[in-house]
Amino acid sequence: MSITINLPEWLSLFSLPFMQRAVAGGILLGLLGGLLGSFVILRKLSLFGNGLGHAAILGVVVGVLLDLPPTIALIGFLVVCGLGVIYLIDRTDLGSDTILGILVAGSVALGTIGFSFLKGYRGNLLSVLFGDILAINSGDLMALLLLLGATVTWFVQTLPDQVLLTFNVDLAKVRGIPVQRYRYLFIVVLSLTIALTIRAVGILLVNAFLVIPAATAKLVCHQFIPFLVTAAGMGAGSGAIGMILSGSFDLPSGPSIVLVQLCGFFGAAFLSRKG
Amino acid sequence: MSVINYQRSADFPAISVSDLTVGRGRYAAIESVSFQLSARTNTAIVGPNGGGKSTLIQAILGLIPYQAGEIQIWGSRIEDLGKRWHSIGYIPQKFPFDRSFPLSVSELVGLGYYRGYFPWRGGQLKRKRQAVEFALEQVNLQDRANQAIGTLSGGELKRVLLAYCLVVPRALLILDEAMAGVDATGEAEFAELLAKLKTEQSWTILQVSHDLDMVSRYCDRVLCINQRLLCQGVPSITLSRENLNAVYGSTITGYVHHH
Repeated sequence: MSITINLPEWLSLFSLPFMQRAVAGGILLGLLGGLLGSFVILRKLSLFGNGLGHAAILGVVVGVLLDLPPTIALIGFLVVCGLGVIYLIDRTDLGSDTILGILVAGSVALGTIGFSFLKGYRGNLLSVLFGDILAINSGDLMALLLLLGATVTWFVQTLPDQVLLTFNVDLAKVRGIPVQRYRYLFIVVLSLTIALTIRAVGILLVNAFLVIPAATAKLVCHQFIPFLVTAAGMGAGSGAIGMILSGSFDLPSGPSIVLVQLCGFFGAAFLSRKG
Repeated sequence: MSVINYQRSADFPAISVSDLTVGRGRYAAIESVSFQLSARTNTAIVGPNGGGKSTLIQAILGLIPYQAGEIQIWGSRIEDLGKRWHSIGYIPQKFPFDRSFPLSVSELVGLGYYRGYFPWRGGQLKRKRQAVEFALEQVNLQDRANQAIGTLSGGELKRVLLAYCLVVPRALLILDEAMAGVDATGEAEFAELLAKLKTEQSWTILQVSHDLDMVSRYCDRVLCINQRLLCQGVPSITLSRENLNAVYGSTITGYVHHH
């Protein structure tokens, strides 16, 4: 492998359809992750992506055992898990971190036992652990576009309500905002996003997309709208730059995107350091 | 808009609570409490800590379920208030929030604006901005509009929440120990401001208070709550030494009430 790449070769790589889909996927995932992540970190759900990511191990096993298409199985399983987590958080006095801790341990244990029953079949485990953004197909892109469109439409219509409910639940309830419906719907959208992100970058990195761009934006923004726009922009920008980096220097794609996110985060931390 | 609904029901008491029982865990925090508040009065709820003052407020606001009785606001059960919640302002007691929450003062006040407005509809954004500016002027915080809320003092934050209530016309304001965690100067300023705005806005106010001097000075009526409603009436008469001993037990003996 050569580090120095001349321009035509660099360009020709991005003329390949699979590479174009991967870049588009990186940008869409970044946008979604940044938008949802803004609310995730303010609602103290930063561990949610991690918890649901690990639940995906069990999701894959269940999918194979039931002979379902892997994407459908993963999406369905994660939505059910996400709703279950919120239900348990509401119904018990245990904190959300405790519930998510149980989910992580339980899914890994049951998932590993499940895998031992799938004789000579480990490919799915590797793909769910690390994902493959280069394998994104046009169906995945369409699903991402639909999800992004639905999320943006919903946020545009309910943004003040969403912000108020994140800021103080009692104020939101007194205003007649359907707090529970909004919370559960948010978890469904979030679970769908996590399922699609896992396909691209795997369970080990899914949380980066939700947490790092939003955390970066929170460091530098003190008003909500700029915060939301910066988080989405950071997500999309790191998706694009990360894929270009990955293609140009032949680095693993998901980790390259996270590397760019990290550079942004540390840059913002340096800029916003308290004097 | 919603104010019209309120005026139509002006013949009804602002709040009517009858035989209300609210449970907290296995015991009743509020038991068989009944009272009515007329429009445009300023009523204080007083009583010992743990006596159920906040529980009563939260039940009236529909934030916690109640076990028996009925709560009506402007003649409608709170379950049927619908859009008229818009006419009710609420300032909670504890206001724990992330100090680094990315929200400016004017953005927070703007969250109190009508729900379901769309910025791209003609003139809406401008009207909202003017309403926010005006509300901030009323509480003397116009120069803080773009500041992050995390940088405000406790007293300033309460004034911002008052502006949040002012950004659309409200008829009823419910404050749950609005002055908890505010220093004495801030408290006096806030009480003055509230009294002034009450007259200008024709508010009906229901507030939980721990400061009996403030209650005597600014409120028309007082409800003494310790699980049950022990006494109610005009502060100068109701807050007698005998009544206070009955409400607070012996802990209040230090307080001397001057008629």
